[in-house]
Amino acid sequence: MSTPERSSFTTRPDASGRRWRRIFLIIGAAVFVYALLAPLTSTDAAQAIGVPLLADRLWFRIATIIAMFAVMASAWNIIGGLTGYAAFGNVAFFGIGAYTTGMLIAKAKWPFFAALPAAPLASAAFATLIGVPLLRLRGHYFAVASLGTGVAVGEVIQNVDFRGHPVFGGSTGLFLPIVGRDITYFYLMVGAAVLTVAVTWWVLRSRFGYGLIAIRENEEAAAVMGVDTTAYKVSAFALAAALTGLAGGIFAQWNVFINQENVFPIEYNIQMILMALIGGAGTLFGPIIGAVLLQLLIQFLSGSLPISADIPFVPADARPVLAQVILGLLVVAVVVFVPRGVIDFFGGQSRLSLGYLRRSLRETSV
Amino acid sequence: MSAPVATAQLELQGVTKRFGGVAALDGVSFSCREGEILGIIGPNGAGKTTLLNCISGVHRLDAGDIRWRGESISGRPPHRIASLGIGRTFQVVKPFASMTVRENAAVGALFGSAEAHLPPKLAFQRADEVLELVGLAAKAALPVTALTIPDRKRLEVARAVATKPRLLLLDEVMAGLNHVEVDEALEMVRAVHATGVTIVLIEHVMRVIVGVCERAIVLHFGKLLAEGEPREVLRDRRVIEAYLGERYARQQEG
Amino acid sequence: MAYIVQLVVLGLLIGGVYVAVGVGFGLVWGVLNIVNLSHGALVIVGSYLTWKLFSSYGLDPFLSLPLDAALLFGIGYALQRLLINRVIRAPLLFTFLLTFGVNLVIINVLLFLFKSDFRSVTPSYAGAGLNLGPLVLPYTRLASLAIALLLAGILGLILGRTRTGLAIQAVGADRDAAQLVGIDLRHIYALTFGLGAACAGVAGGLIALIQAITPTAGEPYTLQAFVVVILGGLGRVSATVVGGLLFGLIEVFAQSIPGSGSVYANAIAFGLLVLVLVTRPQGLLGRKP
Repeated sequence: MSTPERSSFTTRPDASGRRWRRIFLIIGAAVFVYALLAPLTSTDAAQAIGVPLLADRLWFRIATIIAMFAVMASAWNIIGGLTGYAAFGNVAFFGIGAYTTGMLIAKAKWPFFAALPAAPLASAAFATLIGVPLLRLRGHYFAVASLGTGVAVGEVIQNVDFRGHPVFGGSTGLFLPIVGRDITYFYLMVGAAVLTVAVTWWVLRSRFGYGLIAIRENEEAAAVMGVDTTAYKVSAFALAAALTGLAGGIFAQWNVFINQENVFPIEYNIQMILMALIGGAGTLFGPIIGAVLLQLLIQFLSGSLPISADIPFVPADARPVLAQVILGLLVVAVVVFVPRGVIDFFGGQSRLSLGYLRRSLRETSV
Repeated sequence: MSAPVATAQLELQGVTKRFGGVAALDGVSFSCREGEILGIIGPNGAGKTTLLNCISGVHRLDAGDIRWRGESISGRPPHRIASLGIGRTFQVVKPFASMTVRENAAVGALFGSAEAHLPPKLAFQRADEVLELVGLAAKAALPVTALTIPDRKRLEVARAVATKPRLLLLDEVMAGLNHVEVDEALEMVRAVHATGVTIVLIEHVMRVIVGVCERAIVLHFGKLLAEGEPREVLRDRRVIEAYLGERYARQQEG
Repeated sequence: MAYIVQLVVLGLLIGGVYVAVGVGFGLVWGVLNIVNLSHGALVIVGSYLTWKLFSSYGLDPFLSLPLDAALLFGIGYALQRLLINRVIRAPLLFTFLLTFGVNLVIINVLLFLFKSDFRSVTPSYAGAGLNLGPLVLPYTRLASLAIALLLAGILGLILGRTRTGLAIQAVGADRDAAQLVGIDLRHIYALTFGLGAACAGVAGGLIALIQAITPTAGEPYTLQAFVVVILGGLGRVSATVVGGLLFGLIEVFAQSIPGSGSVYANAIAFGLLVLVLVTRPQGLLGRKP
């Protein structure tokens, strides 16, 4: 009886749950392989067979965005899901990564593949710096302080100037030279997502991961058991930051234009958390699933998908606003109706029935 | 039977801890030899748990010093104290709720003292060993939330033992157990002690103190009231007064 | 020297707004343990009501304040009773997310209704001010400070001298004990949130006089309210008053440093927040945690 435990202690589904999980895993793997290979076929060939979607430029633009959020949600999962410190300002690291790469390319004329590794490094460094004081806080204090980080960093980067000239391009932003094709960035972003999942997988079965989860479950007991809680928390934070920064760095070159608005949007914070929660915070693939589902929904509502239908009574230019409203309502709905359910994703109960929802409501209501 | 003068393994000198204006511990000094089983007793609020918290680094001292094998350890963070070989349990058990019994115990082995700190594979082996020691081997794969309170207390002990401590601080492990469960827990403590671990235990159940402790100290309002062999300490007038009041003590005497 | 006095006066006047924004936020946080991320949005709703009444019906903005309070009280009561009460015993993350979702909905509904154009409220007396030597103190700002302090005073009176207020304090002190003495938790929770929202509404009305409003203009106020409450100390209205005035002073002095400007509003708030939390988490007047 001395085989090492499999590391999935955050979800332990029962027999039928395991079956569903296997089914979804197989379907997911198939979709993933298709997504990976389809862009390599030429548009003509694809259309000849009648195979749609990913051969279409628009679709793998969407897919790239989905991969980007998959990275962010999975990265957040490391500090929020595994360690239990729900950071609300991780978009700061996305922006820092984007601006690091952006500045190195635009101002210092570095080539992209040299500038990209600097992004996770810069984000991790900043996270380590800010993490030491920040992670001493708990609950509300940590949440708002981390929210403030996201906001403040964006503000500083947009406004700081040196002798009258904005250091980081100010409100006009940074322009990067166009390098490579869309498809390159698709694979890069997917690669980053794969990397993030691989890192999470490694963390979950390592001493580091057990330490993080111990911190989440009971920080005092973890400390007394010998876990260096400060070092571990800051490391998790820095790791999450690095991966998020990597996504930012890729985005910078892909989008060829960055400014405060497109790399420090506050909504990204909530989206990455929501994605991790919906899919299952603390699990390996949960954030990925959540990212795919939520991002597809948001894109559909904003009218950005080729198959977006017209929504009655809503003019086209109001679609983004509507998307945000629905997102807000979705947040509210998820939080109200599935709070216990989401936690139970940790514990593995994957059965969502009406009675279950009713019971969970009773537990959290006053 | 005169024992050779053994150097103290754990030594407290003038330990004082205040919360607001109240001194939870006031100038407490005692020492503990290697391999000993020392009991700490005292009425509620006497400062017993605070004492353990100070030793394990959860609280910082306001005055005084704590020495471990000759070295001062006061002011060190809890995980450092754990790595030195001091393990503890909590009065209100603190299991890692989303893990199984086995994983909980493994956390002790993954971290813990310098002798522990095992890689995952070996840590789980050690987890199995300690679960065997405390009698939880059959329930290893269960989630912690499925355990009864007595079993959770056992797990708490197992987890602490997994850290390969030289000194184990037990905080009211017997609380809430019935007669039979206390006997089983006593066996468990003896078994742990037999592996060479020094044990300091806080208890209210006098049967345990008398049954397993070689020495006992009594705390009252943060001060050390009495020290010595358990039976003698329990007969001490001051101790009886502290627990049961002055009038009862006088009645007992006269 | 006169310059310093000018800054101090300006700081206090600005602080008035922060007091108004902070007291409602602090009430909800102190009693319900909810950090309401939609607070800024509620403030802006008040601003829009004031603006609408002014621009469509010519109602003097100061007269619209009670209406702001009433509307926002209703909204707040409903929000708490119907939504927030359902998750209040869940982990903090969820109330956080919930109020964020509400924030998103409110802002975007406002965007839908009013678009993102900037609106302002400029009554006839907008430009006039009190002349005190070299200083010109705008009447609107003076009145704002006075009303903010009045608001805090009224809130303090309600909490300390009325039955309802005592019930609120009881619930904040010990929820279970309060239930045991017969207090209807659901109602008191909703009432408390409603009161906090009402204060936000009044703050919004005052803000409409001082700056141009747009649906997202309330965002910075949420973070600033948080800092104000922490600065003063969670738990008492008087502490929040101190925190608000102090925050106003700090902001004015920070912005008087050449090279910086109002663009760093959030960064200043955040920096101050981290500083206070790391050095003196109980704030100036709060009790030690």
